[in-house]
Amino acid sequence: MKKIFSNQRGFALLNVVLLTLITSFAAMILLNAVPRAKNPQSTLRLTALYVANEQFAQLESLATAGELNTGNYSFQGKPEDLTTENAGAPIKFTVTTNVTNGSGNLRKVSVKVSWKFNGKDFEIASERMMRVVPKTES
Amino acid sequence: MFRKLKVKKSCGGFVFVELAISLPLIILLMYGLASVSLKIFELSKNQLADYVLEEEAHYLLERITHQARAAKSVNATNSLNTVEFFFHTSAEDTLLHEELTIDDVCETQWYMPHKKKGSQAVTVNAKRQDDDSRLNPITGDNSFGETTLVKLKFSELRNASGEDTNVLHITLEMKSLVTNRKLKLSTAVFMPACESKSGLPHE
Repeated sequence: MKKIFSNQRGFALLNVVLLTLITSFAAMILLNAVPRAKNPQSTLRLTALYVANEQFAQLESLATAGELNTGNYSFQGKPEDLTTENAGAPIKFTVTTNVTNGSGNLRKVSVKVSWKFNGKDFEIASERMMRVVPKTES
Repeated sequence: MFRKLKVKKSCGGFVFVELAISLPLIILLMYGLASVSLKIFELSKNQLADYVLEEEAHYLLERITHQARAAKSVNATNSLNTVEFFFHTSAEDTLLHEELTIDDVCETQWYMPHKKKGSQAVTVNAKRQDDDSRLNPITGDNSFGETTLVKLKFSELRNASGEDTNVLHITLEMKSLVTNRKLKLSTAVFMPACESKSGLPHE
């Protein structure tokens, strides 16, 4: 037995080097692919963007009716749209809206949609200018 | 004879021992690599299918909200996941500088689902003609992942006083036939020029 092992001529090192190279390549590719597959942030961002648009639509309707005042507004759309299951588990969106005066009949509307995922906070913020149509006295 | 025997003796049993150790190792390594490769292939396929699902839902909803915004009238049939927008594109011919009649400039756009024979997928067709053709699917038939329409519902939102607001609420739900993942998007669009609506329940 001792004689057999004393006849080894250096290829064990080559084996180890090749094995390490192949396994590290495989591990690198796998580790690169796994986190991408489990990241639903783009889906949540898209869903949040449409929730913000829903709020903008309702506020634009108020502005056209001449009833958009400055201050904070709660979510004016359908309450069930604030919860999504697009990321697998239910995620709750929080919508905060602030309306400030612009020049003339214009109002600056800022809508922020925030959510929590895996213990971290995320948020999208968008702004629009809206013209408040003066109410006509009947 | 003696020299030959001596050479053989020095290598005696070595090849077999090497084979006995290295063969299981190679098999194990190959099995590991094959599993990793399959896993990566599966992940990539699912990622692409989910990306297609998200992209198609985004495109469809963006297109519907864009056209709803300019609509003069909306006619929805929620039981069939169908909507019809009627809108005017221009009030004046910019080349001839002359007023056109409403009939000359009106546009109609339908969004209708369609299921091909022998296919599980329900695609959405965008069409301008009032006929039975379903030749312009704007979703589905994607080689990276088949999708199907689950739900396309329309309703009208009311304000706190219960009055009509000309705000169209849209819910779109699509499913990937590769991963079975569902994507539901809801939004609303204000239609400042809308004069008539039908088939829209109030929310």
